Amino acid sequence: MAQSSGKGSLKGKDLITIGIFSAIYFVINFIFMLMGGLHPMMWILMPGFIALLTGIPFMLMCSKVQKMGAVILMGTITGLIYFVTGMFTVVILVTFAASCILGEAVRSLSGYSTFKGNLLAFICFSLGMTGSPLPIWLMHDKFISQISEQGMPAEYITTLEKLSSPAMLLVLFLAPVIGAIAGSLISKKMFQKHFIKAGIV
Amino acid sequence: MKEKESVIKVLDPRTCLMLLIFANLITFFQSSIWIEVGWICFLGCIMLFMGQYRMAVKWIFTYGFILLLQYFLLPAAPKAITTAFTLLVNYSRRMFPCLMAGAFMIKVISLRQFILAMRKMRIPQNLIIPISVTIRYFPAIKEEVHYIRDAIKLRNIRSADKLEAIIVPLMISATATAEELSAAAVTRGIENPIRKTSVTEIKFRLPDYLYGFIGLLFTAGAFVIK
Amino acid sequence: MVSIENISFGYENKEKILKNINLDIKQGECILLCGESGCGKTTVTKLINGLIPHFCEKHNLEGKVFLSGRHVAGTELYELAKSVGSVFQNPKSQFFNLDTDSELSFGMENEGMPPEEMKKRLKDTIEKLQLKKLLGRNIFSLSGGEKQTLAFASVYAMNPAVYVLDEPTANLDTQAIERLRKQIGILKREGHTVIVAEHRLYFLYDCIDRAFYLKNGKILCVFSKEEFHKLTDDARISMGLRSIQQAEVTLPQALPGGRRDGLSAEELSCGYKKAPPVFGKLSFSAIPGEILAITGYNGIGKTTLIRCLCGLVRERDGKVFLEGKEMSARSRRKQSFLVMQDVNHQLFSDSVLEECKMAGREHTEEQIRCVLEKLGLLPFLEQHPMALSGGQKQRLAIATAILSGKKILIFDEPTSGLDYVNMRAVSEVIRQLADANHIILVVTHDREFMQCACDRVLEIK
Repeated sequence: MAQSSGKGSLKGKDLITIGIFSAIYFVINFIFMLMGGLHPMMWILMPGFIALLTGIPFMLMCSKVQKMGAVILMGTITGLIYFVTGMFTVVILVTFAASCILGEAVRSLSGYSTFKGNLLAFICFSLGMTGSPLPIWLMHDKFISQISEQGMPAEYITTLEKLSSPAMLLVLFLAPVIGAIAGSLISKKMFQKHFIKAGIV
Repeated sequence: MKEKESVIKVLDPRTCLMLLIFANLITFFQSSIWIEVGWICFLGCIMLFMGQYRMAVKWIFTYGFILLLQYFLLPAAPKAITTAFTLLVNYSRRMFPCLMAGAFMIKVISLRQFILAMRKMRIPQNLIIPISVTIRYFPAIKEEVHYIRDAIKLRNIRSADKLEAIIVPLMISATATAEELSAAAVTRGIENPIRKTSVTEIKFRLPDYLYGFIGLLFTAGAFVIK
Repeated sequence: MVSIENISFGYENKEKILKNINLDIKQGECILLCGESGCGKTTVTKLINGLIPHFCEKHNLEGKVFLSGRHVAGTELYELAKSVGSVFQNPKSQFFNLDTDSELSFGMENEGMPPEEMKKRLKDTIEKLQLKKLLGRNIFSLSGGEKQTLAFASVYAMNPAVYVLDEPTANLDTQAIERLRKQIGILKREGHTVIVAEHRLYFLYDCIDRAFYLKNGKILCVFSKEEFHKLTDDARISMGLRSIQQAEVTLPQALPGGRRDGLSAEELSCGYKKAPPVFGKLSFSAIPGEILAITGYNGIGKTTLIRCLCGLVRERDGKVFLEGKEMSARSRRKQSFLVMQDVNHQLFSDSVLEECKMAGREHTEEQIRCVLEKLGLLPFLEQHPMALSGGQKQRLAIATAILSGKKILIFDEPTSGLDYVNMRAVSEVIRQLADANHIILVVTHDREFMQCACDRVLEIK
């Protein structure tokens, strides 16, 4: 199996492998994106949940394609599909791009094959999704003034203020870090329990 | 007659991409609601011209409903409902210009045209290949999950193990498919560095220029009118 | 056209797959590579289409392969693609696009062929291979046979001189195999060189010019067409080859519905959502001790029928009885098991033993061992199910069904891609299950298997 580490450019097989695992990544991502619409709290925790469950496809892709570009491509594909379907706005595109570049850099520095390096890259990668709820903070003032104009009750505005407090911002960024670590550990367990024994990695 | 009709009903995928970018900019500038309403109507008109009548009606009505929710229903609703939904409703209204443009694009542009457009825009093969595989693999995931769920139903698997029971076979089959699909693709010359050709051509026609120009006006408007 | 010189091949740290292979194939010849599973015939095809050495890593290759005078190992895969076209076993994983039209021109686009020529070739391909029905469709709506035809057509459009087909019929029904036979005929008439690695031989009876018989990585003998036709059944069976002529099915019809000593379907019809029923008013019985084959063309509703009998889809009309008692979909799910065509979907655990424990928690390890012993799986107790061979996976799925105490066992194409020895092994296992009073239904296109393993046949029309 093709596992030449770090050397050479991406070949047909690498590109196809990246495409397939990106599809799985996207589907899981999308499910949680939809669930995020159910409740604001769910939305804020969404990047964390996504990280928790996408560890396996991410790590499998990393073990299959130990070359430069895998992480960036996975991110670009996800971003592009979301963009084309109209579900990504400028903010998340920016955070997403930054996190992919960071993830790729970490992999490149760590030599593509170590668990720790891939874990760190996955944390970076997972932070990209924080761009989705981020406008709650970025456009906070405008949003509040707008809904008070609409005549929303004052109590509601205080709940919203709480939701968009700096503490919650911390939660937003911590969730994917914790999720990514847990997700990587789960995937490590799955590698040992299934994938290595089954001979697919 | 038929010829004429087809000219109006064919859009270049790049025009759709352009509309999407405009939609994103309009959302980003957060300008007056009227620009937004105008944009929705504009997209609705394009849908009508392209013969997507049901789609146009559906999207315009949904937008109207969201406006109604945001400005009249939610402020009067019980607090619990308001808390849960205001953010969602507000956000989906904001996303609406993009969502509508995206839905339109998916409806009228095939994967093939999209790939052609990407080639024409000189996007590198290294991106075009994996993205077309990703899109092609979505229905395959659906198929796989369907089989796996059938299999789970016929075995008594504890609920706690169900997630693992879906994910592991899915991953293993993804790995196998990656291998087989790659073999099929490389033996059909996918790694050929030569510039790829195509049977069908895409090019800008009158409607493309027209929609592009109007879209540009809206974007400029959104930038100017705060 | 193709010459293989002193090839030995193996993956790193493993036993050699091919040992000192030499063969010469002339232009316009149709060559059959045959032999038991694991004899190395697929590896030979990979040497010719260049997947070895370009696509496989960590291997040892000695010797040289030449294709139209070019050294395969020294030529890029995309250059080789112009002169050798490949069709593989699995129709599901050979297409690259969502619609059939794109797939047809896929190879030509990769070559960078001028649009005018591409149009001409497309027209030609569509006419010669009669593809009108396939045009403008979503590939996911095609049957396995249609997908395989499309894969073939996409290669044909590239017009390579040499065709390499690696077990192309493994997942096809009789009708699709017939279509493939005609397509190979067209290739021959046009003077192409065709190399087929196959288990199923009957459809190649008229096409082949020579047959190479491989065993344990060596070419044991080479048959001319005449010699191959003269092979007696005994000789063929001792070589582990499947029938070289289409088997006749002389089985009696399925029992009519209404039996009270087994499974009985009465006026059963079934369909999805609002679509018209896939099949209607089907009545038949299957009794313990007998093996009922279910056959019929692709898309006729066999899959829906077995999913319905297993309780995975509700019947729209009619009833299903087991031993005289009416069964709801839910109770059918408890009583029946389906061994899927792709068993990979139904093995979930991390070892053979765990898989069995998962299926029947009330069984002792002794009982589990006993079942595994009968199915020849005892030596693999600690292995991961996915590391087993295809036949072993199938038997493991059967073990889980036995352990969970299922009465009705349904097999979906259990012999797809199997050689003679493995086909016989499956027949024996199924016979044992029937003797142990299970009700057995087998969906199959494989007439040779049907004739030797089943007792009755239900043909859906």
